[in-house]
Amino acid sequence: MIRYKTYYLPITLLAVAVCASASSAQAPVTETALTVNKKLVKLFGIGGFKGLPSYGSGILVSKQGHILTVNNHILINPGILVHLYDGRQYQAKVIAREPELDVALLKIDEEVDFLPHYNFDEQAARPIGENGDWILAMSNQFKIALRDEPMSVSKGIVAAVADLRGRRGVFDAPYAGDVYFLDIVVCNPGAAGGALVNLKGNLLGLIGRELKDSRLDTWINYAVPIQAQANVLIEGKPGTVTMAHFVKKGMEGTYKESDKIAKVDAGGYHGITLVVEATRSAPPYVEEVVPGSPADKAGLRPDDLILYVEGFSVPTIKVFRETLKLYAPDSEIRVQYQRGNKLENVKIKLTKHPKLQASN
Amino acid sequence: MRIFTCALMGLLASVTMAAAQNPVVLKSEADRVAVIEKVKPTVVAVFARGGQGGGTGVLINDAGYALTNFHVVQPTGPTMQCGLADGILYDGVLVGWDKVGDVALIKLLPKKEGDKFPYAPMGNSDLVKAGDWSIAMGNPFLLATDFTPTVTFGLVSGVDRYQPPAGIILEYTNCIQIDTSINPGNSGGPLFNMKGEIIGINGRGSFDKRGRINSGVGYAISINQIKNFMGHLHAGLDADHASLGALVRTEAEKAGIGRTKVTAILEDSDAYRRGLDQDDELMGFAGRLVTSDNHYKNIVGLFPRGWRVPLEYRRSDIRKEILVRLMGVQRKELPDPTAPKDDPKQPPKKGPGPQGPAAKFYEPKAGYANYYFNREEKKRLFADLKKHSDFSALAGDWKIEGNVNLLKLRAQTPFTTEIGEQKVGNSVITKAAVTIGAFTDRLEPLDKDNGLTDMRKPNGSGGLIAAIYVWRHLLTEGEKGFPSECNHGGSEPIYPPPPQGAAPQGGWMKRAVLANVLTTRLANYQCKWFFAQSDHKLLGFELRLQDANEDPCEVYFSDYRNVNGRQLPHEMAVYFRDVHYGTFSVTKYQMAPAPAKNAAN
Repeated sequence: MIRYKTYYLPITLLAVAVCASASSAQAPVTETALTVNKKLVKLFGIGGFKGLPSYGSGILVSKQGHILTVNNHILINPGILVHLYDGRQYQAKVIAREPELDVALLKIDEEVDFLPHYNFDEQAARPIGENGDWILAMSNQFKIALRDEPMSVSKGIVAAVADLRGRRGVFDAPYAGDVYFLDIVVCNPGAAGGALVNLKGNLLGLIGRELKDSRLDTWINYAVPIQAQANVLIEGKPGTVTMAHFVKKGMEGTYKESDKIAKVDAGGYHGITLVVEATRSAPPYVEEVVPGSPADKAGLRPDDLILYVEGFSVPTIKVFRETLKLYAPDSEIRVQYQRGNKLENVKIKLTKHPKLQASN
Repeated sequence: MRIFTCALMGLLASVTMAAAQNPVVLKSEADRVAVIEKVKPTVVAVFARGGQGGGTGVLINDAGYALTNFHVVQPTGPTMQCGLADGILYDGVLVGWDKVGDVALIKLLPKKEGDKFPYAPMGNSDLVKAGDWSIAMGNPFLLATDFTPTVTFGLVSGVDRYQPPAGIILEYTNCIQIDTSINPGNSGGPLFNMKGEIIGINGRGSFDKRGRINSGVGYAISINQIKNFMGHLHAGLDADHASLGALVRTEAEKAGIGRTKVTAILEDSDAYRRGLDQDDELMGFAGRLVTSDNHYKNIVGLFPRGWRVPLEYRRSDIRKEILVRLMGVQRKELPDPTAPKDDPKQPPKKGPGPQGPAAKFYEPKAGYANYYFNREEKKRLFADLKKHSDFSALAGDWKIEGNVNLLKLRAQTPFTTEIGEQKVGNSVITKAAVTIGAFTDRLEPLDKDNGLTDMRKPNGSGGLIAAIYVWRHLLTEGEKGFPSECNHGGSEPIYPPPPQGAAPQGGWMKRAVLANVLTTRLANYQCKWFFAQSDHKLLGFELRLQDANEDPCEVYFSDYRNVNGRQLPHEMAVYFRDVHYGTFSVTKYQMAPAPAKNAAN
């Protein structure tokens, strides 16, 4: 659900905020763009297939060349090429990753110093932005800039702060916390890892990937706030990690990546594994039922074809998954399915997800 | 979802209220509205005749000339229909185009002879910076049936951008990147700064998974690049972009800043003849720093073929600056590059032929977008030349006397130049001679047996005798003296030398003067004449010997004085290759009227 609590801010407070930002929005943002550009880098790595770009954007977070970016495919190979704002080129390596926050930290291989950068702790200590805030998005979208050519800058407004339900193809986005949704197109190829800043150049967030909203099936434009945090398992123990913590520990070289958690649908747990979603219209046939799971208790078996959930038709796996997301743990759902030539009705009582170790 | 909508409406209401109370916001909004009102009448909705397809354009002068994209007028053909914001539809005709740069100039025909059109001034796109505001106007999705332009407002996302060509055409160099929304149909429309000056022509965008609609990345061709081509466009040329004749790459250094080096060079390029070679490091080009190969391409893309621009390079520790004539991008006989090559089933996408009332202003000719306008511009050039000084009655013998400072002698030496016709038997032979000190060089300029060394006389001048002969021919005969070839060549910069004895002031860029160009051919002599854009004086010319891939003889005129009611130059500086051959100071002109009617070849 879209969180709407932020819309209930007192009108007076909003009015002040809008006044201030609207008037500053009349002035060109040239200076801010120049300053921010120096703290950003162009990244080049692996890609160029299946619509995946081989380039990206990153943010300098230390004068020695630590770079914060999105934990995406371009970082698969060890050697990543970095172009600084002044045209200098370096190789960089990934020194830490946190999949749950969808971030990675790189370090330039050479001895460098005095690089313009964001003090991440300081920036992350600022309050999170709000709806209606003016923003600038800066990235190397479409690989327009090389070497000393400046990043692209666009301006827009924070349209909403809400939780991300993104997907790429059939894969859910790794990060699912609060993000800034923007009123402009920013999530273009290569934009991920770029900077979302306010008109003064303060860092607000990390520009996100090219994703579709899994509820609406439309392209979304978002950035992950630098105050983001995620619930993770570290060596089997549940905990929370913030982006600031990740950057700090990452730079110290002591960051422990969280355990991989198998991505499960939001909503309650049922224990049904469906057949492989070979096509977008694949029907929800049961492949397996986890022994002891709610579905097992309700009597579902492999090869059952699920037809209705709470009276809603679920013709495809996709619709089934989307529908199930609406039902929280502890809710009971009516499921109608076909077994052989017969229609059957059962009630499944959903539970919380058991924390699963990843099988992949 | 309903809560969401209500809340959002509440938010918007509060924003509007808040904005309405802020005088800064009100002022800024009022200014923006005023600018849009001012420029709205200059935006043209361009349609193919019959309304199938089209784009946008913008009027740049009161005679009805408008800029648009090449890719807009290519499908419309040479005649099109143009709607203005007042709802009136005008006939339009193609004037000139620049396929590589994706620019075309069209002319709207006034409803009544002499009617003036509204137009927008051109700004200086070199001053545009990333982060500036911009306004795009046009006809996205061709949705305005009453021709009222759609307005979008946004940020300049980047300047000096390079977007590679499709094949060899539609290369966007030095372009302006915007987040201002542009969509199909906006093509050819203006990008304005907040003063209502044209800073670019919107032409393309970066699209990917989201389809061919605005993705927040649009590109406008910078107006300063178009200004360089304006002379060519007005002259109806199929203008070509420049290339250096060399491959330039930025080294991928492991660390640090890569150097931009020449990796290969054509031996018949002017750059090579001027001394540029493989492995030289490019430092500056046309007064701009070269820091990467994209920069380099951006700079080259600013200029039409044939322009001379200064280039600075470094070899080991020596920096050198040379003046380079740029080569072209397109081959001479260019097949339509947008036509699918391997698909015979699909006929090449070509616009319809000329139609309607504008058809009488269209004249096709190879190498030209519309030769009609070349003819018109040429007529104007000759009229100005004649107004300046009419020599048509003085087609007899010419004798020019004075002193010359030859570089190799470093002393004042008297000189005489004589040109005249002699009767030999039944035919008339043109003879020309230049005497410097005790030495006389003679040439029958039109003798078919002349060799290269004859035509290059006097030695080291690159062909001064022939040059003076052709110059007299231009002055006395005018356009009819060059039946085989005489065309307007658009505009080009020339670099007149400093007055005799004076040191050059500033670099090459400071000396550049933009001139109107006339190109002529007479027998073996191919000439480019440069006329001042201000007072139409002949500033100088280049003489090239045909079929000789060689450097021309360059003559620069100055010190114009009145001689019997006619203006004549009293100083002629002659250059060949990179060498100043000498400067001739004229003390006396003797020009006889033409003798009894003779057919002079």
